[in-house]
Amino acid sequence: MRPAASVLLLTTLTGFAYGLLAWTGVYALLGLLPAAPRFATAGTTLGLLIASFGLGASALHLGRADRAWRAFSQWRSSWLSREAVGAVLTYPIAILFLLALRWDHGGIAMRLLGAAVAVMALGTVYCTAMIYASLKPIRQWHNPHTAPDYLIYAAFSGALLFALLHAVLVGGSAPIFVIVPMTAAIALLAKRAYWRHVDAQTPFASLASAIGLAKEVDVRALDAPHFAENYVLREMGFTIARRHSGRLRRIALGLAFAAPLVLSILAGLSMAPLAATAAAVACAALGLLTERWLFFAEATHVSALYYGRVV
Amino acid sequence: MKTVARTTCYMCACRCGIKVHLENGKLRHIEGNRDHPVNRGVLCAKGSAGIMTAISPARLSTPLVRVGPRGSGGFRAISWDEAMEIVTRRLAAIRASDPNRLSFFTGRDQSQALTSHFARKFGTMNYAAHGGFCSVNMAAAGLYSVGGAFWEFGEPDWEHTRLFLLFGVAEDHDSNPIKLGLGRLKERGAKIISINPVRTGYSAIADEFLAVRPGTDGLLIFALIHCLLEAGEVDTEFLVRYTNAPHLVIDAPGKADHGLIARDAHGRELSFDRKSHSLMPAMSGGIDPALMGEFTLGDGRRARPAFELLARRYGSKEYSPEAVAPRCGIDAATMRRIAREIAEVAFKQPVVIEQAWTDTGGRRHATMVGRPVSMHAMRGISAHSNGFHTCRALHVLQMLLGAIDTPGSWRYKSPYPKPIPGGSPPGRSTAPGEPLDGPPLGFPLGPEDLLVDDEGEALRLDRAFSWEAPLAIHGLMHMAIARAFEGGPARIDTLFLFMANMAWNSAMNPGETTRMLSDSDDHGNYRIPFVIVADAFASETVAYADLVLPDTTYLERYDCISLLDRPIGSAHGPADAIRVPVLQPGRDVRPFQDVLLDLAGRLGLPDFVDLGGNALYSSYADYIVRHERAPGVGPLAGFRGEDAGAIGKGSPNARQLERYVENGGFWKHELPPEQLYFKHANSAYLTGAKAMGLIESDAQIVLQIYCETLQRFRLAAEGHGDHRPPQRLCARIGQFFDPLPIWYMPLEEALTDRARFPLHAITQRPMAMYHSWGSQNAWLRQILPENRIYLHRDLAAQIGVADEDWVWVHSRNGKLKCQVRTMTGLNRDTIWTWNAIGKRAGAWALGHNAPEFRRAFLLNHIISEYLPKERREPRHSNSDPVTGQAAWFDLTVAIERCEPGAAAEVAPRLGANPVRLTLTVETGR
Amino acid sequence: MTMLPTALPGAKRLGLVIDLDTCVGCHACAVSCKEWNSGGEAGPLPDYDPRGSEPDGVWFNRVHSYEAAEQGCSRTVNLPRSCMHCEDALCVTVCPTGASYKRAEDGIVLIDPEICIGCKLCSWACPYGAREFDEQAGVMRKCTLCVDRIYDKSLPEAEREPACVAACPTRARHFGDLGDPESRVSKLVAARGGKDLLPELGYRPTNKYLPARTARIPTASKPAAQEGDGVGAALLRLLDRVLSR
Ligand SMILES: Nc1nc2c(c(=O)[nH]1)N[C@H]1C(S)=C(S)[C@@H](COP(=O)(O)OP(=O)(O)OC[C@H]3O[C@@H](n4cnc5c(=O)[nH]c(N)nc54)[C@H](O)[C@@H]3O)O[C@H]1N2
Ligand SMILES: Nc1nc2c(c(=O)[nH]1)N[C@H]1C(S)=C(S)[C@@H](COP(=O)(O)OP(=O)(O)OC[C@H]3O[C@@H](n4cnc5c(=O)[nH]c(N)nc54)[C@H](O)[C@@H]3O)O[C@H]1N2
Ligand code: SF4
Ligand code: SF4
Ligand code: SF4
Ligand code: SF4
Ligand code: SF4
Ligand SMILES: [Mo]
Repeated sequence: MRPAASVLLLTTLTGFAYGLLAWTGVYALLGLLPAAPRFATAGTTLGLLIASFGLGASALHLGRADRAWRAFSQWRSSWLSREAVGAVLTYPIAILFLLALRWDHGGIAMRLLGAAVAVMALGTVYCTAMIYASLKPIRQWHNPHTAPDYLIYAAFSGALLFALLHAVLVGGSAPIFVIVPMTAAIALLAKRAYWRHVDAQTPFASLASAIGLAKEVDVRALDAPHFAENYVLREMGFTIARRHSGRLRRIALGLAFAAPLVLSILAGLSMAPLAATAAAVACAALGLLTERWLFFAEATHVSALYYGRVV
Repeated sequence: MKTVARTTCYMCACRCGIKVHLENGKLRHIEGNRDHPVNRGVLCAKGSAGIMTAISPARLSTPLVRVGPRGSGGFRAISWDEAMEIVTRRLAAIRASDPNRLSFFTGRDQSQALTSHFARKFGTMNYAAHGGFCSVNMAAAGLYSVGGAFWEFGEPDWEHTRLFLLFGVAEDHDSNPIKLGLGRLKERGAKIISINPVRTGYSAIADEFLAVRPGTDGLLIFALIHCLLEAGEVDTEFLVRYTNAPHLVIDAPGKADHGLIARDAHGRELSFDRKSHSLMPAMSGGIDPALMGEFTLGDGRRARPAFELLARRYGSKEYSPEAVAPRCGIDAATMRRIAREIAEVAFKQPVVIEQAWTDTGGRRHATMVGRPVSMHAMRGISAHSNGFHTCRALHVLQMLLGAIDTPGSWRYKSPYPKPIPGGSPPGRSTAPGEPLDGPPLGFPLGPEDLLVDDEGEALRLDRAFSWEAPLAIHGLMHMAIARAFEGGPARIDTLFLFMANMAWNSAMNPGETTRMLSDSDDHGNYRIPFVIVADAFASETVAYADLVLPDTTYLERYDCISLLDRPIGSAHGPADAIRVPVLQPGRDVRPFQDVLLDLAGRLGLPDFVDLGGNALYSSYADYIVRHERAPGVGPLAGFRGEDAGAIGKGSPNARQLERYVENGGFWKHELPPEQLYFKHANSAYLTGAKAMGLIESDAQIVLQIYCETLQRFRLAAEGHGDHRPPQRLCARIGQFFDPLPIWYMPLEEALTDRARFPLHAITQRPMAMYHSWGSQNAWLRQILPENRIYLHRDLAAQIGVADEDWVWVHSRNGKLKCQVRTMTGLNRDTIWTWNAIGKRAGAWALGHNAPEFRRAFLLNHIISEYLPKERREPRHSNSDPVTGQAAWFDLTVAIERCEPGAAAEVAPRLGANPVRLTLTVETGR
Repeated sequence: MTMLPTALPGAKRLGLVIDLDTCVGCHACAVSCKEWNSGGEAGPLPDYDPRGSEPDGVWFNRVHSYEAAEQGCSRTVNLPRSCMHCEDALCVTVCPTGASYKRAEDGIVLIDPEICIGCKLCSWACPYGAREFDEQAGVMRKCTLCVDRIYDKSLPEAEREPACVAACPTRARHFGDLGDPESRVSKLVAARGGKDLLPELGYRPTNKYLPARTARIPTASKPAAQEGDGVGAALLRLLDRVLSR
C-alpha cells in the first residue's frame, strides 16, 4: 500500500496525542496528578493540539476536503466514520475535563471526566486501528495484531510525552519511569510478534483463484490491460525491496522502541532525566513514523494479484 | 437536441454498421447497428473509440505545399483552388506525354471502384491498392482455384460447422463477423483448432492449438491430405461433379501441350467415362468419370485424370506425417488424429438440410448434404513467399472433402463465386492521352496477358504482371517507392498516395524508404520528382509530400462500400452500404473522392465529363447515384430504378441515397433457401446472380484442383509459345508454376544462413489498434502505447533475459533494440510482436516523449523489400514469386541480450519531422 | 446509508456473466464502457496525459490476459475485470459518508459523486481492484452496471443492457438477474459451472465467470484403413467407386 504522508502523520500524531490524553485521564482518575493543575491542563491541551494537527493532516488526504463533515454520518458501519466521531467528541469532554481541573481539582467530577477522556482517546485510537484491521484484502492489516498494536503504540508514545511533560513541569516521577520502559518493551515485543506473524502468513488468495481457476493451477500474467501504471497499482501495488524493508525494520525497532527504552531507564536512574526523556520522544517520533511507513509499504493488496504481483 | 445517424464505421476495414448519437450536434456516443448484416449490433474497441479519433489533434486542416527539404515536415498552407491548379497542371502534362509517369497508389481505399476507374481513364498502368502487401496470396489462390477466397470472399457456415480449422489468423478484416462466428461455434460446442505459432486472441479460445513453425503449413496440409487419401476418405462424388479432378491432363513431357487439359473440338474438357468406356466431355451428365488410370486420346496422346496426379503426389511417403513432422514442429500422431477427426466429421456426421435444389447438370437434389468441416486462413499463410501454394493446398483439401459451399463448410460470400479466374486481363496503355484498354488490375490467363515488353521485362513500375510476379492481381504496392527510386522500368514523375502510410508501417524497410523518398540525383533533383499525399491525419508519410490534399474523417463524408469493390455481402446474399456525413468538418478539408472527381473533370477524363468536356458529377454522392459502369449497374446495387424496386441492375434512382439512409445505411438481399449452398453449381443461384448483374455467365463454375493457368506459364519457361520469360527467370517460373500445390522453404529463409539467424520473427494485429492510425486515439493508446518482443520462456532463459529486459534483434538487414516479454504459448523457434505500434517522433500529434517512439518499435526496420542479393541483377523483391505478395513473415533473426546499462530507448530511431506550418498565408475560403 | 441492505424477498440481483471459454480479449467491452460512461450520467471519465508519456485514465472495465499451465501448451486466458456488485460489499460498509451504497431493489453497488469525499477507503476494501479514483473530480468511480441504460424506458427493450454487453463481439458477456434461478443467466451459470473470483475473500460477488471447456471429436480408435500402407491400396479402393455425374 502506498505510504501517504498524510496518513502516516495522522496515525503517528494521534497515537502520541490520544496516548497523552489517556495517561492524563488515568492519572486524574487514580488521583495521581501532581497538586498543581498546571500539569494536567498542559497535558490535555497539548494532546488536543497534536491530535488536531494529525486530523488536519489527514484531511489533506481527501479528494474533497470541503465535504469532510459528511464523514460523521456512517458511524453505524464505518470505522472511519467512528474514528471521526470519536475524535470530535473527545474535544468537548476534554474541555469539560480542563474546566474540572480548574474548578474541582481532585474532585469526583474531575476524576470521572478524566476517565471519560481516557476512554474517548483510546476508543478513537481503536477506531483508527480497526479501519485497517477490517480490510480483508490486506493480510498485513487484517489480522489480530493490528488493533492491539495501535493501542500499545499509543500507550507507549503517549506515556513518553507524558513523562517529558512531567519532567519539564514537575520533575521526575517514579511510576512514569516504570510505565515508559514497560510500554516500550511491550511495544517492541508486539512489533516483532507482528512481523513474525506477517512473514509467516499464508497469502489470502492465489492468482489462480483470482481468475476463477483451481488454486493449485500455475498461472502467469501475460499482458496487463494497459501499459501505464493506473490508480489501483499506484495506490495498492506499492512494493518495497526485501533488503530495504529489513534495514528499515531494524531502524524502526531501534529508534521507536529500543532507544526510548534505554533512554527512559537512564532518565529513571536520574541521569539527565530531562534531556534523556526529550531525546527519547524525538527517537520515538522518528521511529514510529518509520514503523508506520513500513506498516503501509509492506502491506500488499489482493487486487495486485491481477497484475501478476506477489501479495 | 438528440439525433441518431446510421452510417458505416471506418476505424478499420471491416465496414460495420454504427449508430452515431449526437447531442446538440456534438458526438455523444457510437454503438453498433443491430440491424446491420456485418456486425449485428456488436462493436469492437476501435469502433467505440471513434469519438476520440473524430477529435484527434492529428487531423489535417488545410491543403499544404512543402517548404524546405522534402521530409523535413515544413509546409505552407494553401487554398484548395491553388492545390487543384497544381495537381491539374502536373497531371495534365503527364497524361499528354506518358500517362504511366503518374503512379497512383491507394492503400486502405474503400473506393477502389472509383480510384481504379480514374487510373484506367487517365491511362496509367501504375495503379494499385494495398492488396499486394496485404493478402493477395489468399485472393489469387482462391480466385484461381474456387472462384472465391478466404480473404473477403468467403466465410465458414457458423451455424452448421462442427470442426473449424483456423490457419494463421489473429484478427482478419472480418473482425466482428469472425468474433460473432467463434462465439456461435462455442455456443454450439463445435471444435475449433487453431494452427498458429502464437497462442493469443482467437487461438486463446481454440479447443486445440497447434504451435506450427512459420512457413510450414503447406507441409501440414499435405500430410492431412496424405492421411485422407490413405484412408480413402475423399468425396469422390463432389470431385467428379464440381471440380476438374476427372479432367484428363495430357502427359507429353517436353511437348507444348504437356500438362494442359485435353479438350474436344468444341474446347470442352475431356474425361474418361467408365460406363461407355469412352472419352466424354467431363461436364456432360450421366457419365461415370474415372479419377484414376491412364488413357489414350483420339490422336494417340496419353492423358491421366488430374486426380491421379494429385493422389500420386500427396500419397507419396515424402508427405506422410512422419516425414513432415520435424519441419512443422507438430508431431505425426497429432496430424494423423486430426486427419481422422476431419474424416469423421465430414463423412460420418454430414449435415443434411431438407431443401431441394437443382445443379447445373440438371439433376434435382431432394436435400442439401454438407461436410461440416470448415476452414479459414489469412496472413499467417499469405504473408509468406510460399503463401499462394499453401493457400491453394488448403482449397485442394477443401475440395477433396467436398467442403466448398456446402452446409457446414466454408461458403462463398455474395457476389462470389465468380468464374475462374474472375475477370478480364490487366489493361495496358495505348497512347498518350488515351485510357487503358482494360482495368489496371486484372487476371492473366497465360503469358500473353502479361504486361511485359519484347524482352519480357516489366512494363509496370512495381513489375506486377511481369515474369517476376505474373499473377500479381493486386499489384506490388510495397515495391512502388523502391522501384520509383531505382528509376525502372521508366522514370515516373508523380507518386500519388492515398490512405497509405508508405513511409512507415507499410514500408518493408522504413529507414531506406524514407531515404529514397527524400534522396536527390547529381543535379540536385529529387529522384522521385513529385509526391502528392491525400491523407486525413498527420501521418509519417505526410511529412514526405510536396503537396498534401487533406481528407475528411469517416464521419464527415459520403462513401459507398460497393459490389464493384469489396462489398459487405455474406453467404446469405449480396449487400452494400454507404457512409453519410454526420459531423461538419469545420476545417478546410474535402472528401478525397470529391477531389478526385473534380480532378477527373478538370483533366477531362472520359466517363467523367460529357461531350462538351464539362464535369459530369458534382460530388461523390452524385457519382454514387448516377454513375453506371455497365447499363443498369452502378456503385450501389440497392433501390435502383425509378421505383427503387430493382435489385442489382436497374436505372439510376435519384432518391437512392435517401432510401439507403431510411434503410439504416445499407442494403441487403436475402437469397432464397434454394440458392444458399452449392452456388458454384446451383442453377437457381447462378441464373439469379446473373440477373442481378453479379456475374456475366450462369454457367457452372468448375473448381480447379489442377490449375492449368500455372502450367501455361511453366510451358513458356520451358521454351514453348512466343511469350517467354527472360532467360534469368526461366528456372524460377519452372519451379514455382506447378499446376498442383507445392511446398518450398520461404525464399528469404532459404537464402539466409540459418545458423546465424535461427529464429522466425513475425507480427500480429492487436485487436484494439488499427495499423498506424490507432495510436492517435487517446483511448486506444492507453491500451497499447508500446510493444514488446515476445520470447518463449525457454529461449529467454537460454539468453538470460526476463520481462522488460532490453535485447538486440539481428537480421540480415540490420538490428533492432527493444524490450522483452516472455510467454509459453508460442512456437519455440518463433519470436513476435504487435504490428505498427512504433511511431516516428513528431507524427500523429503525440507528445514529444510519447512511448510510441521511445519504447515502441516496428519490426519493419529489420525487414527488406528485397531478397538477399544474388549475383544476377535486378534484385528480386521479397515477395511470393507467383503473386508478388509481400513476404513479411519470412523474416529470420537472431537475438542477444543488451549490454547492461544501455539506454532504455528503442533503436533505430528516425529523427522527428512533425508536419508543421513554417509559413502561413491566408487560406482562400 | 452504508449498511448493506437486507435483501428483500424476490429482489433482483443484477450482474454480469462472463464466458472465459469465449473471451478473446479484444477490449471492446472496456472501450465501449469508457465511451458510454464518459458521456453518460457517470461521466466524464478523466484521461491523464492523453498524448504524453504515461497515458492513463479512469476505466471501469479492464481486460487482462494470463497463461495457465496445461499439459502440452499453456492455455491463454483473457479476463475482463469490473465491479462484481458483491453481496458482502465491504467497499460499501467502510464508506464514512454513505456515498458508496448497494441498492436493495437490484443489488447494484453505486457511488454518489455528490457525497463522496474521496477518502479512497472503499478502493482499499475492494479485492477486485474495481474502484478507480478520479483525480480531477476528487471522487471515487466504478462500474455502474450501466444503470443509466438498463432502466432507460426511452430505449427499446432489447437495448436496455450494459454497453459492454451490447458491444462484446463474441457475445461472451451476459447480463441478467442472478437472484432468479429461472433467469437465462442463472441457468447458464448452473449449466456451465459458473465461478466466483476470489471466493476465499468471502465477498460473494454477483458477477460470475464461466470456465473454459474443451470440445473433442471422438473417432474410431482404429482408422478406416491401415495407416502407413501408402496410397496405393487407397487408390485401388477409390477405383471401384461409382462416381456418376
Ligand atoms: N511488419 C509488418 N508490417 C506490415 C504488416 C505486417 O503484418 N507486419 N501488414 C501489412 C498490411 S497487411 C497492410 S494492409 C499495411 C497497412 O499499412 P497502411 O496501408 O499504411 O495502413 P495504415 O497504417 O492504416 O495507414 C493508412 C493511412 O491512411 C490514413 N487515413 C486514415 N483514415 C483516412 C481517411 O479517412 N482518409 C484518408 N485520406 N486517409 C486516411 C492514415 O492517416 C494513414 O496514413 O501494413 C503492412 N505492414
Ligand atoms: N484490430 C485490427 N484489425 C485489423 C487490422 C489491424 O491493424 N488491427 N488490420 C487489417 C488488415 S490490413 C489485415 S491484412 C487483416 C489481417 O488479419 P490477420 O490475417 O489476422 O493478420 P495478422 O494479424 O498479421 O495475423 C497473422 C497471424 O498468423 C500467424 N502466423 C504467422 N506466420 C504463420 C505461419 O507460418 N503459419 C500460421 N498458421 N500462422 C502464422 C501470426 O501469429 C498471426 O496470428 O487484419 C485487418 N484487421
Ligand atoms: S471492426 Fe471495429 S473498427 Fe472495424 S469497422 Fe467494425 S466496428 Fe469499426
Ligand atoms: S468484449 Fe467480449 S470478447 Fe472482447 S474482451 Fe470483452 S468480454 Fe472478451
Ligand atoms: S467488486 Fe469491489 S467495488 Fe464492486 S462491490 Fe465488490 S467490493 Fe465493491
Ligand atoms: S472514497 Fe468516497 S465512496 Fe469511497 S469510501 Fe470514501 S467517501 Fe466513500
Ligand atoms: S456494466 Fe456498464 S459500467 Fe459496468 S463495465 Fe459494463 S459498461 Fe462498464
Ligand atoms: Mo492488410
